[in-house]
This record gives sequence, C-alpha cells and structure tokens, in this order.
Amino acid sequence: MKKRLRRFWLGFLIFVSLVGPGIITGSVDNDAGGITTYSVAGALYGYKLLWTLIPAFIILVVVQEMNARMGIVTGMGLADLIRENFGLKITFLIFLGLVIADIGNTATEFAGVAGSMMVFGISKYICVPIAAVLVWILVVKGNYKIAERVFMLFSFCLLSYIISAILAKPDWKMVTTGLLTPQMHFNKDYLTIILGIIGTTVAPWMQFYMQSSVIEKGLKIKQYKFTFWDVIVGCTATVVVAFFIIIACAATLHKNGIVINEAKDAAVSLKPFAGVFASQVFAFGLFVASIFSATILPLATAFYVCEAFGFEAGINKRLNEAPQFYALFTSIIAIGVFIILLPHAPLIAITIWTQIINAVLLPVVIISMLIMVNNRDIMGGYINNKFQNAVGWSTAFILISLSILLVISPLISRLIK
Amino acid sequence: MVNQIKSDIAMQAAKNMFIYFSKLIDKPVFDKNAEAIGRLYDIIVKPSAVYPQSSGLIIRKGFPKRRYAVVDWLSIQEMDKKEIRLNIDKSKIAFKEKHDNKEEFTLRRDILDQQVVDTYNHKVVRVNDIHLLFVDHSLMVAHVDISTRGLIRRLGFEVPVDFLVKLFNKKAKYLTLEYLITWKHIQPLSINPVSMAIKVDVAQKDFRNIPAADLGEIFLDLNMKDQIVLFKSLDISTKARIFINIDFKTQKSLIEDLNTSEIVDILNNIPSDEATDFLEKLPRDATHDILSLMESKQSKKLSQLLGYSSDSAGGLMTMEYMAFPKDTIVESVLNQIKERVFKVEPAQFIYIVDENNRLIGSTNFRRLILAESQAPIQNASFPKTYSVHLNSSVKEVAYLMDKYKYYAIPVVDDNNVLQGIITVDDILSQVISIAWRRLKRIKVQPKNL
Repeated sequence: MKKRLRRFWLGFLIFVSLVGPGIITGSVDNDAGGITTYSVAGALYGYKLLWTLIPAFIILVVVQEMNARMGIVTGMGLADLIRENFGLKITFLIFLGLVIADIGNTATEFAGVAGSMMVFGISKYICVPIAAVLVWILVVKGNYKIAERVFMLFSFCLLSYIISAILAKPDWKMVTTGLLTPQMHFNKDYLTIILGIIGTTVAPWMQFYMQSSVIEKGLKIKQYKFTFWDVIVGCTATVVVAFFIIIACAATLHKNGIVINEAKDAAVSLKPFAGVFASQVFAFGLFVASIFSATILPLATAFYVCEAFGFEAGINKRLNEAPQFYALFTSIIAIGVFIILLPHAPLIAITIWTQIINAVLLPVVIISMLIMVNNRDIMGGYINNKFQNAVGWSTAFILISLSILLVISPLISRLIK
Repeated sequence: MVNQIKSDIAMQAAKNMFIYFSKLIDKPVFDKNAEAIGRLYDIIVKPSAVYPQSSGLIIRKGFPKRRYAVVDWLSIQEMDKKEIRLNIDKSKIAFKEKHDNKEEFTLRRDILDQQVVDTYNHKVVRVNDIHLLFVDHSLMVAHVDISTRGLIRRLGFEVPVDFLVKLFNKKAKYLTLEYLITWKHIQPLSINPVSMAIKVDVAQKDFRNIPAADLGEIFLDLNMKDQIVLFKSLDISTKARIFINIDFKTQKSLIEDLNTSEIVDILNNIPSDEATDFLEKLPRDATHDILSLMESKQSKKLSQLLGYSSDSAGGLMTMEYMAFPKDTIVESVLNQIKERVFKVEPAQFIYIVDENNRLIGSTNFRRLILAESQAPIQNASFPKTYSVHLNSSVKEVAYLMDKYKYYAIPVVDDNNVLQGIITVDDILSQVISIAWRRLKRIKVQPKNL
C-alpha cells in the first residue's frame, strides 16, 4: 500500500514537472477571438451549438497529440519540418496565410483589451496604445519567460467563467440536450459560427506553438505517456471554458433575445441578468486572455516565419542581430493596433475574415502534418495509427467542405429563390 | 580601358558557367528524338570530392500520381537554362512509383531548404539555393546561397522585386551583395535514416579549428536529431570541447541518447571540474551508475569532488594541475611538462610540494626558463604563494585572485595538502552570474519559444 502510494506520488511529481506544452497551449487557446465566438454562439443560438464542442475536442486532442509526437521524435519545429519536406513555395503560401490571419488575430486581441477596459470605463484610445507599448517592452526589454508564467497563473481566472455561468442559472436539462443532439442548418450564419468555433478552438498557429513548446521542454519519447496526458488536460481545460462561456451567454442573453457582436457586449449585457460581479469577472477574464495572446501571437508568428525562412530569431538576440525578427514582431503589433484605433473599425468583418482564413488554413496545415506524421523516414516507428488518421483526414475533409459550403451558400440560397 | 573590357568579358563567361539549382528544377527533359520525358526533379551527386560532382538525374512525371526515373549523367546530351536533352531513347527509361534510395546524396532532398553548418562563419544556416558550376560536361556544387534574394529567386519574384528595389535605390546592397558560401566550408547534416549517420562527412577537420565556445553555440542551434548524429560523428576531443560548452539541458538530452561507454569516454576526457558540474546536477542514482563504470582512478577523483558544496572552493576546483616535489631539478621539470598531455584547461602555474604533498610554493614558466637548469625547482619559486581552503566561499576566492592577480589559485585542506586549483575562467563565470542575478538582467530565454 505504502509502495503504491509512493509510486503514485512519484508519477504525480513527474507529471507536474512535465506539465507544460499542452496546458500552456490550452490556456493560450481561449483568446479574445475564442471568447467572442463562444459568446456570440451562445447569445445567438442558445444551447443549440454546445454539441460542436465534442468534435472540436476530439480534433484538438488528435491534432495536438500529433504535434507533440512530431516534436518529440524529430526535435524540429513545425515550420522547419514543413520547409524541409514541402519546399519553399508551399511554405511561403502557408506562412503568407498565417501572417495575415495572425495580424487579424492580433487586432482581435487588442479589440478584446479595448472591450474589457470599456466595461471598467476606460477609453480604447488610452488603453490600447498603453497595452501595445507594454507588450512590446515586455518582450524586447523584459523577461518574457517570467511573464509567461505570470500569465499562466492569471489564466486560471478563465475558470471564473464557470462562476459566471452558474450565477446565470442555466437550464441544465437544455444544456444536456444541446450537448448531445447535433443539429445542422445549411444557412450562412450557422455554418459561419460552426466554422468559427472549430477555427478558433483549433487555430492553425497553435500547432506551431505547441510543437515549439514540446521542443523547448526537451521531451523524450520515454516521457510520451505524460505528454499525452498533458495534452488531454490542456484540451479539456480549453473546451470546459468554452462550454461555460456558451452556457453563460445562452442562459442570459439568448433567453432575453439580446444580440451581441463582441465579447465586451456579453460582459456589458450580463450585468442586468447575472449581476455586476459576473459582468466584471467576465471582463477581467477577457482582459487577461487578450493581453496574454496579444503578447504571444506576434512573438510566435515572427518566430515561425524566421524559423522557416532561415532568419536569425529569438528575443535573446539584439536588434541588429535579428532585424527581420524584430521588424516582423513590431509591425504585426503596429498594424493590429492601427486597425483597432480606426474610429469606425470594421471589427466584426475583421473577426469573421480572420476566422475564415484560419479555417481555410487549418486543413492545409493538418494535411501537411498528416503527410509528415505518416512518413517513416521522419517519424520512424511512431507514425499515426488508423484512428488518428481517420480523425485527421475527416477533419480536413469536413473543414474543406464547410468552407466551400460557406462560400457557395449565398449562391445556393439565391438559386433557390 | 581595353583591359577593363577584356576582364568584363571574362566575367561574363564565368557568369555563364555558373547556374543556380533553382533555375534547373522543373525544366523539361527530352530524349534524343526530342520527345518529352518529364521534368528535372533532383540531381544525384558524388559527395566524395571536396566539391561534389553530379552523377545522375532524377526525372519526375505525372500529376497527381507522380512517377520517378533515374538517368545516368552520361546520358545527357546537352543542358541549359531552358531544357535538358538526353542522348538515349525514351523507351530505355524506366519510371517507378517512388524514388527513395537512402544511400545516395541528392541536392533537392539533402541540401536545398535544409540546415547546414557554415564552418567558416561558425553558424547554422538554411540553404535557399545552390550555386552549380559547369565543368567538363558535368555540374559541381560550388556554393550555397543563404540570402534573402535567393529566397525571392526561388519564389519566382526576382524580376519584380529587383525592379522595385532599383526604383528606390539603384545602388541598394540587396542587388550586389551575394551571400554565397563556398562548399568547402559547408557541413551538410542530412542523415541516412537506415544507418543513422551523417551522409557526407568532410568537415571534421574544419570543426577542429572552430573555437570551443562557438562550437557550443553552433550545436545549440541544431535540432535534437542533428545534434546527436553530428555529435556521434566527431572525434573524442571535439566531443569533449562541445560537451563542456553546452547547457545542462542539452548535455542531459545528449547523454540520454548515448550508450554508457560513450558517456564514460566523454567524462574521462573533460576536466574534472566540468565533469563534476555535470554529474552533480544529475539524479543521485544516475551519477552513481556513471561513476561505477568509469576508470577507478578518475571516478575516485570525481566522487571526491562531488562531496564538496558546489559554491565552495572544493566544488569549483579542478584536479588537473602540475605539481612537483621541491627537490626536482628544473631541467627535469621542463622535460616532464613537455611530455604530459593536458586536457582542455590551460596550465599556467607549477606548484611545488613536499613529500606529503603539502603546498610550499609555486612558480611559472618564465621563472622556470630563467632559472638555472640544474637547480632544484624550489629555487625558482615565487617568494610567497597564497592558497584557499576547500571550504572557502566563491567571494573569498574571487577576492584573493583579484588581489594577487592570479590566473589560478591552489586549494588546500586543513593540513595544507594540495587538493586542486581553481582557474580564473571558472571563478569569472561564477562572479558574472552573481553580478547578473543582482542586476536582474540575466536572460534565460532558450532558442525555441
């Protein structure tokens, strides 16, 4: 008995020391874009869209497990692997998409900062520039590693959405029905939101981020079992938070027929139904998530681009040692901030277009991952099993068909008329 | 003026003899009857010479179902920037589903887009293009291109981008600066997946000329798989030099992929203070396992060092030093020094001990050379030699070394018996890390995010 207890503690300690890649990635995953999408989904369709979280979860686990395995076996980043195996042209196209999408994503993050601060009565013209400068200084002059740990701690605030949701007194019976009975409607709004949920939960840049984190940890195949559980825990955290955001918005906004376009609308509109506390908790969570991702996104994007094209990269390099890296990092932030500070910024259009690019990019990234992860020259004995391939390929297939459907759905509806 | 024109013509001719690999890729291949066969996919080279020479073509045809064929280089009639004409008939070429001969070395698979080590500038770079030279009907790999312009050429945007740059600045560096690295200084890292060894291994000699600290940096820029394979291909002294210049995390990750005899070999070949630095960070069981496999003399030394606290003089010291009994004559001392082989640490001082190995004095080369050759070494000693105790703190050691301008300071036990020496580089890295910690400016950001 004592021996078993000791073994348990030993296992637990090893697990805690290895906790990282999956859980960090999971906590970055619920960024401003994600919170917006989940809130809008809850407000528009109530509990009806909860079922999408189940396929999203399965896809998330399978994709991130592949990333972790590839990182462990090859010791290479995803950008490196794509460049070495698919050549320059495909790499260029993928990264062109990734950079555009990430500029959009960064803009959404700053929109999240602006929105959440508005709940506390601070104007976007004050808080967004300050946030951007702080983020820039933190990365270029400060200690990013420590900042990441602090953000990690703060990201537990996201669990406060559970409180928000429970304070909103949801109808648990309808929650269960919504979760377990998939419904499909072939109209543009419904398809957009489904694609949005999957695109924001399994965002393409997360794959690059995940694999880098695995390599940074220096994980070996011996520790695969722990890494696998790390991925599961991280993905579960992501999906649980998404689940409660949808419930919170469904129980209050949808019930009262309030339509929202932004996450901050959700925070504002929660007030009359769930109280000031719930509203502020929601806004604070949004703020933390936004600033966390606004730091990581431009940094990560600049890093992968430099990795793929062979430029010097890394924040331990000086400005003149890695000019492309800093130029890219700075301009992604600058463009993102500029878009948000435009007086009549088309925020909704930006969010939607970013998510569409994400959703189009995702199958491309997943397909290239699947090709590499099934190549014995790269993976040795650790290629995919049948289940992983089935999920991977059907995800790519479904996403492509959804994207096509989305593009042609206005045409179809016009034809029917 | 005439000379100028002549050399311009020569330059022009030389320019025509060079061709970028990217300009050849996907060019159509025709047989002797001018019938289309497929497109150039890859070039096989013989890596044996200093500059690898082409030995075959890989042709690809069909989409989406691709088929590949290998053609010997001798079958080529003519080759230029537009097309490749063969001197054999189409029917003689057999296409297969796949081409994956893992033994051979090919440009597209093994060099283009891959990371290589530039042993001249001591950096890891990514190959954007390959510069080939026409020599007697065959192609030689002359340079690799790592420039942004190479990237843009590959993407096919060379003309518009050049035009745009010219529009803004006719003399832009971008247009003239060529980032070509001669193949002589390139160490490719392509790995044969069957034997898990590096395919081309020409730069061994070059690696030996790179300063140890740079070697460590290069190594940290590589990915894990390349690190291990490259490491295994090196000789033991280069291995030792790399090992002491990488961080503990990389050391540990390397050790996990080496077998015990290789580990022991490395630890036997690095200075004892570096070995203990590494061993004391390992879990106790692992340390014990490694020590039990080492030579008994060396492992005894290391386990003794491991007993001292890592921030005391005992923990910092190395056991590689030169000490001679006080009566040894100078000539014999000098002869013995010439014959001894030292590990990485440089020897600056020579210590003088009595019959019980107690420290009585020290001397340096200058004093030894100037001394009378038949006199005992004791006569060449400095008037006074300062030492530190095994338990002295880092600060004490640093203070004394600064005060007496020592490159190395001897460490003694309670009975003044010489135990080892602390060299200035070890104390410097300790002092710097303390200073940095104080300034809170120490950046521990690793390469990958």
